[in-house]
Amino acid sequence: MSTQLDEYLEAEIQSLLTDGRIAELGITVNRREHLLVLGGEVESPLRRDEICRQINQRFPDVQIVCDIGIIRASAPSEVEEIS
Amino acid sequence: MIRIAAVGDVHVDKDVLGRFRPALEELPDRADALLIAGDLTRHGTVDEARSFVTEFGGLGVPVVVVLGNHDHQSDQQARVSDVLTDSGMTVLEGDATVLELNGHRLGIAGVKGFGGGFAGACASNFGEREMKEFVGTTEVIAARLEQALNSVQCDALVALTHYAPVPDTLLGEPLEIYAFLGCYQLGRAIDSAPTALALHGHAHHGSERGRTPGGVPVRNVAHPVIKQAYNIYQLLSETVDTELVTT
Repeated sequence: MSTQLDEYLEAEIQSLLTDGRIAELGITVNRREHLLVLGGEVESPLRRDEICRQINQRFPDVQIVCDIGIIRASAPSEVEEIS
Repeated sequence: MIRIAAVGDVHVDKDVLGRFRPALEELPDRADALLIAGDLTRHGTVDEARSFVTEFGGLGVPVVVVLGNHDHQSDQQARVSDVLTDSGMTVLEGDATVLELNGHRLGIAGVKGFGGGFAGACASNFGEREMKEFVGTTEVIAARLEQALNSVQCDALVALTHYAPVPDTLLGEPLEIYAFLGCYQLGRAIDSAPTALALHGHAHHGSERGRTPGGVPVRNVAHPVIKQAYNIYQLLSETVDTELVTT
């Protein structure tokens, strides 16, 4: 039986994302008709790839698209005056 | 004038080493101190704390931090704090520090904070022991922030937390999880003192600006929100509005 793209699958993936190893609480999981879209941002390409690898490994029959970005870390160009 | 740099939720581990450093090397030319609003590490291990110190230490400006929930994940928060303190950083948890910067005294009071929610949608100190412990933890932490904020004599006072003190800066997060992202008790503590600015992190999908009910500016400096290595805020500006000067 193929895995259903339902709320329980979404909850299971969120649980996997927040387990000890991945520890990412800011990843979004959006269900489309035939696939899952992962969103949000992480601190390194290694973390993004690890998330996708683990989810693919756990749910091999689910089509997953990874839209997770890497957060920019450049110096600011502006100062905000607080008043 | 004082300029403070701030960021939170940098979640440092070995894979992050070097990503922030180029921007941090420029920091002493741009700001007088760096404040970090928790979640310094990914799992709260001593090794990750050492990586954090490698990336964010030795800048030539004071670094003041609070821990976040990630820094508690491995139950090694005391050892994590020791690593940070040994490197010369100041770790606040229910206490305050004063920095002498450009002839001014900058007071910073900090706690990690906790969840609980906001007016009209918050947990109550009632019922099961577990629920009373949850809200009781929130209340104890907020009381420590209030005490710390009111303990310092300074020219400008900043509150530094990981959890949010207002719902304004959570805009963008699912409403259902607001109660796990912050609590009104932190806002009330901030309003109990002459706080000039409140900084927090934790809400990765939140928004940047808000105010407490008492009017204190609040900034969510979580790295995924500000999308740069740090933000810079200017306090105690000396510029005079010439239109208001009579001749």
